[in-house]
Amino acid sequence: MAGIQKKAWALVLSLVLALSLLAACSGNGGNNEASPSPSASPADGQSSEGTTGIDTSKRVELQLYMLGNAPKDMPKVEAQINEWLLEDLNATVKFNYTTWTDWDQKYKLLLSTGQDVDLIYTAEWTQYQQYAKNGAFLALDELLPKAAPALQSFVPQEMWEAVKIDGSIYTVPSTYKEYVTGGFVWREDLRAKYNLPKPVDMDTFEAYLAGIKANEPDMQPVAVGAAVDATLEDALLDFYRQNVGALPYGLLAPYKDPSNMVNYWGSAEHLEDLKRFKSWADNGYFSKNELNETESNQDKIINGKAAALFSDNPTRFNSMLNQMKTLHPDWELGYHPFGLTNGYATPVHPIHNGFAIPKNSKKAERALAFYEKLVTDKRYNQLASYGFEGTNYTVENGYYKPVGDNTTNGFVREASNSWAWRNPSFMIFEESYDGIQAIFDELDKIQVPDIYTGFAEDYTTYQAERAALEQVMKQYLFPLMAGQVDDVEGGLQTFMEKANQAGLEKIQESYKQQWLNYLQEKGIQ
Amino acid sequence: MKIKEDSSTKWFRLLAYTVVLAGSILCLLPFLLIISASLTSNEAIIREGYNIIPSDFSFDAYKLIFLIPDDVIRAYGVTIFVTVVGTLLGLLLMTMAGYVLQRKDFKYRNFFSFFIYFTTLFGGGLVPYYMLITNYLNFENSMSALIWPSLMTPFLIILMRSFINSAVPDEVVESAKIDGANDFVIYYRIVMPLAVPGLATVGLFLALHYWNDWFHSALFINDAAKYQLQFYLYNIINTTNFLNSIGAGAGVVLSGPVPSESMKMAMAVVVTGPILFLYPFIQRYFVKGLTIGAVKG
Amino acid sequence: MRKKKGLLHELSKNRILFLMLLPTLLYFLINNYFPMIGIYYAFVQFDFHSSNLFQMDFVGLKNFEFLWKSGKLLELTLNTIGYNIAFIVLVNFLSISVAVLLSEIKGKWFKKITQSVLFLPYFVSFVILSVIVFNLFNYDQGVLNTVLERLGAEPVDLYSKPTAWIFLIIIFFLWKNFGYSMVIYLATITGISDEYYEAAKIDGANIFQRAWYITVPMLKNTFVILLLFALGGILKGQFDLFYQMVGNNGLLFSTTDILDTYVYRSLRVTFDMGMATAAGVYQSIFGFVLIMVVNTIIKKINKEYALF
Repeated sequence: MAGIQKKAWALVLSLVLALSLLAACSGNGGNNEASPSPSASPADGQSSEGTTGIDTSKRVELQLYMLGNAPKDMPKVEAQINEWLLEDLNATVKFNYTTWTDWDQKYKLLLSTGQDVDLIYTAEWTQYQQYAKNGAFLALDELLPKAAPALQSFVPQEMWEAVKIDGSIYTVPSTYKEYVTGGFVWREDLRAKYNLPKPVDMDTFEAYLAGIKANEPDMQPVAVGAAVDATLEDALLDFYRQNVGALPYGLLAPYKDPSNMVNYWGSAEHLEDLKRFKSWADNGYFSKNELNETESNQDKIINGKAAALFSDNPTRFNSMLNQMKTLHPDWELGYHPFGLTNGYATPVHPIHNGFAIPKNSKKAERALAFYEKLVTDKRYNQLASYGFEGTNYTVENGYYKPVGDNTTNGFVREASNSWAWRNPSFMIFEESYDGIQAIFDELDKIQVPDIYTGFAEDYTTYQAERAALEQVMKQYLFPLMAGQVDDVEGGLQTFMEKANQAGLEKIQESYKQQWLNYLQEKGIQ
Repeated sequence: MKIKEDSSTKWFRLLAYTVVLAGSILCLLPFLLIISASLTSNEAIIREGYNIIPSDFSFDAYKLIFLIPDDVIRAYGVTIFVTVVGTLLGLLLMTMAGYVLQRKDFKYRNFFSFFIYFTTLFGGGLVPYYMLITNYLNFENSMSALIWPSLMTPFLIILMRSFINSAVPDEVVESAKIDGANDFVIYYRIVMPLAVPGLATVGLFLALHYWNDWFHSALFINDAAKYQLQFYLYNIINTTNFLNSIGAGAGVVLSGPVPSESMKMAMAVVVTGPILFLYPFIQRYFVKGLTIGAVKG
Repeated sequence: MRKKKGLLHELSKNRILFLMLLPTLLYFLINNYFPMIGIYYAFVQFDFHSSNLFQMDFVGLKNFEFLWKSGKLLELTLNTIGYNIAFIVLVNFLSISVAVLLSEIKGKWFKKITQSVLFLPYFVSFVILSVIVFNLFNYDQGVLNTVLERLGAEPVDLYSKPTAWIFLIIIFFLWKNFGYSMVIYLATITGISDEYYEAAKIDGANIFQRAWYITVPMLKNTFVILLLFALGGILKGQFDLFYQMVGNNGLLFSTTDILDTYVYRSLRVTFDMGMATAAGVYQSIFGFVLIMVVNTIIKKINKEYALF
């Protein structure tokens, strides 16, 4: 025993040593990154250049971070942009890509460990609202008129308003208007062949599935995949119950009456919907093993293994159609946007695509000035979105045409994931885009604003409950949605018990309160 | 007496051959599945699933990978470089440490062993480690970020300690000391040659570790020219996983080639292929008679 | 006083040994001990507003709450320990047996090839394993069901049978990992002097007796090392195996959920690293206590075998 004690003390001693060494190191590290103290840099700019423009006397290298994989020709594009940028702003920029491997982990690390990041992509699915609320980004309100006045006037005022979190702007929204709302996808050639109804609501959709099951026994009528929460529950709530958005924690607020937020989980409606999914599973509309499926739903449509998707957006539908056509020219896909049945459709919220400047950036002014160039300067914008004209693409009759194909072309259209810096006046589209545009035009007639995405939830008070609930959901609710629990009623009861034990009520109560405050603040109904 | 031994030996050998053969077949089957899938057309995989024999034979997946081979070839280069340098450096440090820690006349060997072992129990998590590599050591985007994190593991050091301990009798070290050799010379001239099977084992494990690493590329490398080979495989799979998990509401459509099922498997073959030959090469060091453990008895 | 003199004396006497060990010590100090400061994240509310970890709000054990909020902490702990014990026992049993058998095989080529083949599964990454497992066992087109149908038997839906996965996970763990420890044991056997065997032969011991009384006891030391390292991480590890095989199929959680998968699944949507760190601290302390006890026991039995 005494031996262990001795060892423990020695260990503590070495730990103390380690700590003090680290303290010494961190002093050093601090010098590297933080010593031009936070207040110093803006002050510098002001003193040398006054109120207009920014100080570009010192050359800087900007670090831009985008999600996904870099296109092969990105270094060449980057070199050309840097040539212009050195002249314009005495700066260079590096386009960094997180790849899709552990991208969410990496995103988290980049922002929370004070890395050298000057511009980073934001969207509602990268949790822009939460990061902004927690202070990860720099407020741009004062910086915009100074560093990027053209960008400020280019983006409409209501968009600037819409991205505000707690009263400040933290991201530069994209002005490209698109719809990522859902819609039924089906095999039009098979529908016509077997004389099935066109899916426009739940009944016709189910009739279509039944028809496929009866006539094409080797096909899976509908592809669902492992993300059953998104492909079944969210889709159904969106279409059938007109939910205001993909609300978390089993909450339901109808778009037309958003302040009337109710608990959907455990309700009679929930039971009814789960029974519907169960009947789909029992009828063999989807596989018994969707929860473990590794192939993508889109692939299954393209290769003719599945005959429908419950819900997909117009752009993805169009890309599926094109890929399918290259393999099987005689097949056809049909699409019916939910909006046409429900009578309303929401174009993307400005938060949907944007770029923010992290709080730790030391080059915020230059970063914003560069971003202004990227969005409003045609040279920058088109190069960073489409690559080099002639080498990577050509323009024929106003349409974008790639040189070579996916495998040989080092920079196909928007391969740089240029979603956020899209500028409608510089965009060039492939001919196949006309199909999407036609859908968008129809939806434009019934458009209403997205009132959900602007809401920033603060979950610090119930983070433990939220984490526990996440697991309960996967364990008890997912199998129910996938139709893998024989006794639906009993299964739902078990799920509700476990969810309440994890603290569902506390979460819902707090969320509702925040939601109502938000509606009031924004003056919605 | 002699006959009896022979028959028991025969039975033993029979048992050995049966068990080993059965085990080998079990281990081989999934590989056949991978290779067969990599040679099947993508459409056949999606419609009919995997088969031991390709239902629709196709070289497309390999063609696609090697259509523009520079990425894969460069990644081979990175992985080979990291594996060779990391293994040599790690072996040098770990053999020295293992040797010192097993010397009975080294008074604090137990304390230092504990100092090393303790790190397997406690860790600060990913965030501080990320800061260490990027903010303090400044290894981001360099080969160091790939070599440094896997250089040594407590397990391999302790394993090395045990190998040296059993391969090198204390008497040999003592007599060398009496002859006036210093500790480093003893390590270099006497201990290393005796510990060859241990060196081979630890070296093999370390090399495998480097070869299979993809995580440090994912975390610390932004420059596509410095990605490890395994990272390509993981990234192919993760790109499809991402597309599967992201809901329609995110509106993400990736342009550029979307990897197919058969391409995943072909990549798995391309990535693992070469390292498979390392083990047979190492095997020749696992031969009895290299040691002189006899003195100990 | 005496001790201090001892240290200085030792330093000068064994200075070359110290120098040889120094790089390793520095490595672990920098690479492992420095980042341990991050354990403090487990006790604060993470906040971007304060750049310094020690300025964040101290919240005590709040970050640990999610572990017991779901009422699953005990179940998860037991699951994790249960699997790990099964892994430790079976892997060592299997790899020792096969290593002993292999070492007695005389056919040079047969031995070389099978030895490599047995080690092969170690090269399969877990992401690939998940694809293989799904294609073996899925209901509609899995290899298993295709075979069953050809034999005229009823297809089985393994993905809705939680108990089956206890065995499947253990089998695939063994499949993938036993080659690794087998190589270690083989190397150890290589190090055993032939003289022992010759002496035993003269005494009339047959091959079974020689294997049991000479080879197996000589592997004890190696076994203890493997055991102590496995025990230290008894609440950790094998995340990839479980997560890749089970995925988000809740039907199988009751038998296949371990601490690591629970933490991953619950915190995937949170950027606060406090809770993840807290889970790590729980695992570490558990392993630490266990190791201290086991090492002390081993020391009592045979000092040579103890780790430290």
